[in-house]
Amino acid sequence: MYAELPTDPRPRGLAGTDEAGVGVQLGQRTAIYVYEAPVRLWHWVNALLIVVLIATGFFIGRPLPSMPGEASDAFLMGYIRFAHFAAGQALVVAYLARIFWAFVGNKHSRQIFYIPFWNARWWKEVVWEAKWYLFLVPEPKKYEGHNPLAHLAMFTMFNLTLVFLILTGCALYAEGQGQGSWWFAAFGWVIDLLGPNTLWVHTLHRAAMWVMLVFAIIHIYAAIREDIMSRQSMISTMLSGERMFKDDGQ
Amino acid sequence: MARLETFYDVIRRQGISRRNFMKFCSLTAASLGLGPAFVPKIAHAMETKPRIPVLWLHGLECTCCSESFIRSAHPLVKDVVLSMISLDYDDTLMASAGHQAEAILEEIRHEYKGRYIAAIEGNPPLADDGMYCIIGGRPFVEQLREVCDDSMAVISWGSCASWGCVQAAKPNPTQATPVDKVIKNKPIIKVPGCPPIAEVMTGVITYMLTFDRIPELDRQGRPTMFYGQRIHDKCYRRPHFDAGQFVEAWDDDQARKGYCLYKMGCKGPTTYNACSTVRWNDGLSFPIQSGHGCIGCSEDGFWDKGPFYSRLTDIPQFGAEANADSIGGAVAGVVTAAVAAHAGVSAVHRARTKAGMTTPPQPPTP
Amino acid sequence: MPAVTTPNGFNLDNTGRRVVVDPVTRIEGHMRVEVNLDDQGVIRNAVSTGTMWRGLEVILKGRDPRDAWAFTERICGVCTGTHALTSVRAVENALNISIPENANSIRNIMQLTLQVHDHLVHFYHLHALDWVDVVSALKADPKATSELAQSISDWPLSSPGYFKDLQNRLKKFVESGQLGPFKNGYWGHPGYKLPPEANLMAVAHYLEALDFQKEIVKIHTIYGGKNPHPNWLVGGVPCPINVHGVGAVGAINMVQLNLVSSIIDQTLEFTRKVYIPDLMAIASFYKGWMYGGGLSSKSVLSYGDIPEHANDYSAKSLLFPRGAIINGDLTKIHDVDLTDPSEIQEFVPHSWYTYDDESKGLHPWDGVTKANYVLGPNAKGTRTRIEAVDEGGKYSWIKAPRWKGNAMEVGPLARYIIGYAQGNPEFKEPVDKALRDLDAPVSALFSTLGRTLARGLECEWAAVKLRHFQDKLVATIKAGDSSTANTTKWDPSTWPKECKGVGFTEAPRGALGHWIKIRDGKIDNYQAVVPTTWNGSPRDNQGNIGAFEASLLDTPMQVPDQPLEILRTLHSFDPCLACSTHVMSPEGQELTRVQVR
Repeated sequence: MYAELPTDPRPRGLAGTDEAGVGVQLGQRTAIYVYEAPVRLWHWVNALLIVVLIATGFFIGRPLPSMPGEASDAFLMGYIRFAHFAAGQALVVAYLARIFWAFVGNKHSRQIFYIPFWNARWWKEVVWEAKWYLFLVPEPKKYEGHNPLAHLAMFTMFNLTLVFLILTGCALYAEGQGQGSWWFAAFGWVIDLLGPNTLWVHTLHRAAMWVMLVFAIIHIYAAIREDIMSRQSMISTMLSGERMFKDDGQ
Repeated sequence: MARLETFYDVIRRQGISRRNFMKFCSLTAASLGLGPAFVPKIAHAMETKPRIPVLWLHGLECTCCSESFIRSAHPLVKDVVLSMISLDYDDTLMASAGHQAEAILEEIRHEYKGRYIAAIEGNPPLADDGMYCIIGGRPFVEQLREVCDDSMAVISWGSCASWGCVQAAKPNPTQATPVDKVIKNKPIIKVPGCPPIAEVMTGVITYMLTFDRIPELDRQGRPTMFYGQRIHDKCYRRPHFDAGQFVEAWDDDQARKGYCLYKMGCKGPTTYNACSTVRWNDGLSFPIQSGHGCIGCSEDGFWDKGPFYSRLTDIPQFGAEANADSIGGAVAGVVTAAVAAHAGVSAVHRARTKAGMTTPPQPPTP
Repeated sequence: MPAVTTPNGFNLDNTGRRVVVDPVTRIEGHMRVEVNLDDQGVIRNAVSTGTMWRGLEVILKGRDPRDAWAFTERICGVCTGTHALTSVRAVENALNISIPENANSIRNIMQLTLQVHDHLVHFYHLHALDWVDVVSALKADPKATSELAQSISDWPLSSPGYFKDLQNRLKKFVESGQLGPFKNGYWGHPGYKLPPEANLMAVAHYLEALDFQKEIVKIHTIYGGKNPHPNWLVGGVPCPINVHGVGAVGAINMVQLNLVSSIIDQTLEFTRKVYIPDLMAIASFYKGWMYGGGLSSKSVLSYGDIPEHANDYSAKSLLFPRGAIINGDLTKIHDVDLTDPSEIQEFVPHSWYTYDDESKGLHPWDGVTKANYVLGPNAKGTRTRIEAVDEGGKYSWIKAPRWKGNAMEVGPLARYIIGYAQGNPEFKEPVDKALRDLDAPVSALFSTLGRTLARGLECEWAAVKLRHFQDKLVATIKAGDSSTANTTKWDPSTWPKECKGVGFTEAPRGALGHWIKIRDGKIDNYQAVVPTTWNGSPRDNQGNIGAFEASLLDTPMQVPDQPLEILRTLHSFDPCLACSTHVMSPEGQELTRVQVR
């Protein structure tokens, strides 16, 4: 789809030939429908689950100060771990559903799952966007979906990290389920691969959590900033699904 | 022939009554976690089998496995040695030395070819032609190969033989190598631990004698019956873990109440062993019960997963102090600061741009 | 090399027939010994070789000093715990950490438990077969055996029926043809002097001791969680004490204190009623066999151990004597300073290591170890098939430690000689009594048997001290102090940027020291000089021979092909080769030779 994107650094109108983008005239602005409802729903559910997972995961690795009273009166660590496991399993289900939607949804629903690694022009635009963030170029280009730099971050820092977290997380959960469990049969190979035991898996799972946290910080900042400074809408897009191009028609 | 004599013949001839023999069989069944239904089976096995020769070799090690072995309470090690196996070679206990000792290896290897157990304590160093461990003027690894080649099965006692243990910790100056990396043509049963629990050692041997088979092994080659679950899974302090009750410092109030040692670096959650169930020295205690976290001594490479008092392993590429939290926290901090700075610059930039234009943005002036 | 006299006064002649014993069994680790016999079969030259090397100290480099005890504990599983104790003491010395009184008591209890256990197992399971002919026991009369047993002790397991049952079991075992650990033993050797009845009694006690030794170590299990290799802690001990309140069941409580107490009582009883009487009975038959003294009459060394008061490691607080005797002058006991670079030094001209200048020794804090496996020019065989080593060149994985240039013997006999020379009644009186009972002069102490006797007496001494410290522990708890750990300097951020320390103990086999340097919270250098390094030391550049080699000289071998006498004397030291041969470089990167392989 990059081939269709305008190459003029300051395009005035939409390319409008994209089969998946639906161009709509709204006064002087253009809006296209980018994120379908399942994608938006997944985004927010996933965000919520990640918040829960990071918070609970943090305290599994570094537990809170001790609870008073008898052991039978409290189940704090148990609840925290339960929340972590429950959120983790929900996240896996949501992710699988999201993958399914990537097959049936519009082209934007597929974007985070791959990068056009062999496309030199795309890489050039990654550099252009990087320059925009470094204040080296006055304006970003316009994109219906993720801009190439965001796309790159979305694929590596988010998608790959998420897959890694899911696999290591399931492996750790499998260990808790025991060696005879189907979990262990399904995910024990992760322990063998990163092994010899789960000490290192714990460490890597936690390191990946930090990657995800850093991604979240950048993601939220970039979304807010782009909403204000770029030429297309960001946050509202993830609510309504429609991307507004602010300077169209000017 | 004397050597065709069965275990039961021997035990009876040694003045042990049928009743005591059956009692021993039920103890064996219990120690293996088997129900009473197995007692007659064990008894039958022992009545019909001759004593199997065991050649117990020592490589680079500290002899803690042998010391542990003689701590076995059920069966007593004297009964193992006198009545159950024929411990024909073991440098630590045997009467003979030098040529007379070496002659035993030759004899058993030939007379019992394929019918004896090679029990290996310690491991061979491979650096410097293997001469960091010399037996009879030759590298230990030669003796190891010869004895294992003619055996029916190999038992790797302890973490040395199973994984390499302390002498194989980084940088492994002698190139100490676990047995299964040298012996490829025989079934190997790994009984890891530094040392393994005494009753687990005798349990594995008795299991093999009794059921005439090699125990079911997990993916890493350990008997699942003793190494199938984590110490954490069966730890009596687990309720304190679930409740969120932890020892915060040595000898604090929580320590005196026996709370969970997770925050003190306990490796119970990642260590497969029977310590929390079989326990040590006749079931008396185990490290966690005596106030110190598990150091994971039955796990592969546990020496290099330290420090022992930290929950998270170090990430060696970042120096010995760094773990996932210290690195991740630092990165997150830097990124947050960078974001704040970037936001500031962006705001200034935007303010300037806005002030300077009511018309569409201009290309930058070079 | 024709006959020479070493600077420390031994005559060596390696021209006679060379006899090789490899492996030396019933020791910890791997060892080889070669001797030259003259025409009468008397040993005129002895060469002892440590045949293993593990390199633990380089492994320690860069690690957390709080973890060091666990690594060093794995130096040896027989003297388990003693290296760990030495290590935590070294770290505490470096960081200036003081420990609570209870921690001192519990550590002493653990160390004394090891002494008792180690001595008992050594005597019965590693050493007894040098004195006891198992097969001869078959000829014993159970009734006479019973009378013998009852005449020396009121230990209850002594009826004729008991010995008869045992003899039957033994008989059938021997007749089965599968002799197990007794296979190819030197049964019937003329060097065995016990009558059949004494042999049968000793075999019975061999088996009883095998059963009982597993009880003694339960003290380690209670305070340290397991044995072998119990757990230790920098700043105290890991086991908390709670005898009064909620959660006591999860700590050291009344039940466990009772169990320890009961084991101590049983230990004292077993030592007094079985071990010591057996030892005296055996000694009475071997009184004429006064070989094996070696260095013991010349130079002995002890660092001292078992501090009565926490954190006071001065000689007056240490219950084990501290000091050095050289040149056989028992009237002068020299002070020992482990931090003085001129006192303890290690040499390598005959060890498989190399120094830049091998004519000098190095203090452990400045020690260097570079593996250098080369055989001397007169060695026979090949590099990987040694037929005979060349003692003129390098021949052992053990370094040669010297105290002010002197080769020293360490161990129970050294401790007893020093204690005796100091006139300390705790050591002098039992020795005098034993010698009186055996009708032997004091000089009889300087022998293989003297070493074995000192070990037995020390076992009883240690059992008595066990009771003392267990009582002290209870008294301190009663006085309201239950603390077992000092955590004020647990966090590495409280440590100085650079520091160094030394820790010492008296291991069952003798003086043990660990030297540590810490920098930026990590181990910068770690060195251990262990008892068997002293005793099993090869020659130094002056030609002084070590304790093992010295002790074998002048011993007649009755059957040259059967090394019974050699084993007897070597075993009297309780050699621990895994300990002695791990010594390693502070400069790990120097091990290029190993790393490129």
